[in-house]
Amino acid sequence: MVNFVALAREHWVNILVPMGFVFGWYLDKQQDQKLTAFRNKSALFSRELKPGEEVTWK
Amino acid sequence: MLKILLPTLMLIPTAWLVPGKWLWPTTLLHSLIIALISLTWLTNLSEVGWSSLGSYLATDALSTPLLVLTCWLLPLMLLASQNHTASEPINRQRMYVTLLTSLQFFLILAFGATEVIMFYVMFEATLIPTLILITRWGNQAERLNAGTYFLFYTLAGSLPLLVALLLLQNNAGSLSLLTLAYSPPMQLTTYGDKLWWAACLLAFLVKMPLYGVHLWLPKAHVEAPVAGSMILAAVLLKLGGYGMMRMLTILEPLTKELSYPFIIFALWGVLMTGSICLRQTDLKSLIAYSSVSHMGLVVGGILIQTPWGFSGALILMIAHGLTSSALFCLANTNYERTHSRTMVLARGLQMVLPLMTAWWFIASLANLALPPLPNLMGELMIIVSLFNWSWWTLALTGAGTLITAGYSLYMFLMTQRGQLPTHITALEPSHSREHLLMALHLLPLILLVLKPELIWGWTA
Repeated sequence: MVNFVALAREHWVNILVPMGFVFGWYLDKQQDQKLTAFRNKSALFSRELKPGEEVTWK
Repeated sequence: MLKILLPTLMLIPTAWLVPGKWLWPTTLLHSLIIALISLTWLTNLSEVGWSSLGSYLATDALSTPLLVLTCWLLPLMLLASQNHTASEPINRQRMYVTLLTSLQFFLILAFGATEVIMFYVMFEATLIPTLILITRWGNQAERLNAGTYFLFYTLAGSLPLLVALLLLQNNAGSLSLLTLAYSPPMQLTTYGDKLWWAACLLAFLVKMPLYGVHLWLPKAHVEAPVAGSMILAAVLLKLGGYGMMRMLTILEPLTKELSYPFIIFALWGVLMTGSICLRQTDLKSLIAYSSVSHMGLVVGGILIQTPWGFSGALILMIAHGLTSSALFCLANTNYERTHSRTMVLARGLQMVLPLMTAWWFIASLANLALPPLPNLMGELMIIVSLFNWSWWTLALTGAGTLITAGYSLYMFLMTQRGQLPTHITALEPSHSREHLLMALHLLPLILLVLKPELIWGWTA
């Protein structure tokens, strides 16, 4: 137990960079959803996607 | 994009909060992980499309190789600096890591920016950590002079760019790279327009550097600590080439006639700086001048504006980034042992550090563009596209490659062969750290031979 506390005290900083990655990945995901909100829904596209059809751009 | 940017930012608190004895291993490990994650950018290269698109940041085929190079270089810089900073107080070491990390942060923002003005701001922001690195961690008193040269050359070149960009914003209504490429060509006829053209490119030509405005570079390289020289040669010079390629799509009709004197200057510079290398006594200065010489070829390739010229320039930039950084590391391994950059004072090192000689050999061959390394591909594509423009350029580029081979041989012979001077018979053996460092420089270069389309840029 003591060993674990000592380990955490010494090495807790190693969590910062992975945390940054996870947070950045989440923000990237949010941004993607925002930018693709109207994909294949605009008047220009003007048709429904067929069942099982891939989106036209990524 | 943010999934690389935020971890890079978090490296800074990590560097300050980690216990002193773990500082270098921790930052090295995390920066290496960031570099490995950045390789995922290479998976979605498409011809003209932007990927990893966000509101302000995106990557495309031109910026991706440079971004990956930037991320790759941070662990290498940390690896190279930990020996010579070991004797310093721990807070100074933390500050050093912070500066290197912030440099990577600014460079990612510069290469990833979709707005020209954001690119400009980040282009300027990289000056600050580099200047602090040179003036605080340099070894001699001349570093202050070198810092002044570095700062004022770059600033004087880039202030006209700011004015030119503001003018462009007024006329075109936007500075977004996503839309500027599709805007109708502008009517540029007056002398004012020609001045505007020059202002748009001057900052990048100084940064490259073009022969004639290159004097800051050898000074900065010679005075900077090893990490400063590495990042300067490998990435900061490439900011100039990257900026030029981005701006030239906007400057379209004028470039055809106005670029002649600059191409001539660049090619003349290849010859002149190559000749300067042949009579150098200072090892770091030699490598710095060889950078100017290679960058002259890149300027020529970019200004000729053919697809081959562009992709040759990008290939040469990436290949030169890895090669020159490797050479600076090798120069530093010598400097850490002999405490001198003068080549005649440390000859015959093959006798004492034979394995290092192998690295010197590979790095010299890469510098002189041995087939099948990407250096040769880049040079060949540029030389061919220049030759297609005018036959006379072959005299300059041909002599340039000959001189490059000459001074690379001179550098190798001066450091590795000959009689070992009596004052350096007791040298420290080479560390595994140094071999790892060289392997991490030269392996990517050799691997790129197998998949060159990663660095072909828009032509891929």
